[in-house]
Amino acid sequence: MIGYDHSPLSVRTDLADAHQRAWRRLARPGAWFTGFERVAIAQEVRAAPACALCIERKNAVSPYAVSGEHTSVTDLPAALIEVVHRTRTDAGRLTRKFFDDAITDGLTDGHYVEAIGVVATVVAVDSFCDAMGLPRHDLPRPIDGTPSQHRPAGARDGLAWVPTVAPEDVTEAEAGMYDGLTGVNIHRALSLVPSEVVGFFDLDKVQYLPDNKLRDFGIEYRDLTHAQTEFLAARVSAINQCVY
Amino acid sequence: MEGDGSSAGVAASAALAYFADTFFEDRTAFPIAREALQREIGDAALVDAAGVLAIYDAVVKIADATGIPLEEAKAEMSADFREDLGINDYPSAEGRI
Repeated sequence: MIGYDHSPLSVRTDLADAHQRAWRRLARPGAWFTGFERVAIAQEVRAAPACALCIERKNAVSPYAVSGEHTSVTDLPAALIEVVHRTRTDAGRLTRKFFDDAITDGLTDGHYVEAIGVVATVVAVDSFCDAMGLPRHDLPRPIDGTPSQHRPAGARDGLAWVPTVAPEDVTEAEAGMYDGLTGVNIHRALSLVPSEVVGFFDLDKVQYLPDNKLRDFGIEYRDLTHAQTEFLAARVSAINQCVY
Repeated sequence: MEGDGSSAGVAASAALAYFADTFFEDRTAFPIAREALQREIGDAALVDAAGVLAIYDAVVKIADATGIPLEEAKAEMSADFREDLGINDYPSAEGRI
């Protein structure tokens, strides 16, 4: 169980509850990774900022000008560690080639997307703790079990580097994936692994705003106003050189 | 205080910008930025701001690692200021606008 009872500032219950759900999901088997592998990915997310290769690449004009081995803390495959570390430390300079290389090096697109989902979950929770000046939560203990290996039948190439599922192509097997969401591109990004869409936007709706309240400018749902929220979000995107 | 957010017409924009800038680029100054923001917007809004900053730290990683493009309507709406702000020159813009 994780929580924020120790925080000097009161943390909204919905936010604390969502973080607890995120940590439970992190520990459970996903579509392509076991719980042990998902927690190992989380360990690598935390290790990446101190990785000598990642630091050198981040400071290089081109990340491809620097080669070497990552400073890893798990026995995950090298191709997976590369995806996790680069996404954690230098996502703004990822290109289509990065994804293609990951596939060539042995990851499936499902593994790739799930890994990105785990990175995003850990970053969303850890960065909240960092921003609050609170210690990060201990990672959860992995839960035994087998990955579902569920691949949506409606997944198609074309929108992004990774296959995605359009809202109209959702089948019974992943029904509810876009509940409360409009299905814009950021919602579809992880849709090859529906549980990652559900999990990530469970965090998004409490840390940002639920989709149906984003444009409801007549009511302020948080103490941070709509305008302040959008200003801050745009600033974070700009600092990270994210075009989306 | 760094970060010229004052022209945005958003309350506490300079403090919000400093909060974000130091989080990503100068962690030693970040506690000062957080305190400054807390003084301006209060405790509850600071918690909200920490949530927004953190979720966007994650959102940009999802967007950049999956290569999702900007929606056509958003690309059209943002065409003029993207050029002005140099956003089209971001490495992540390649093939995504």
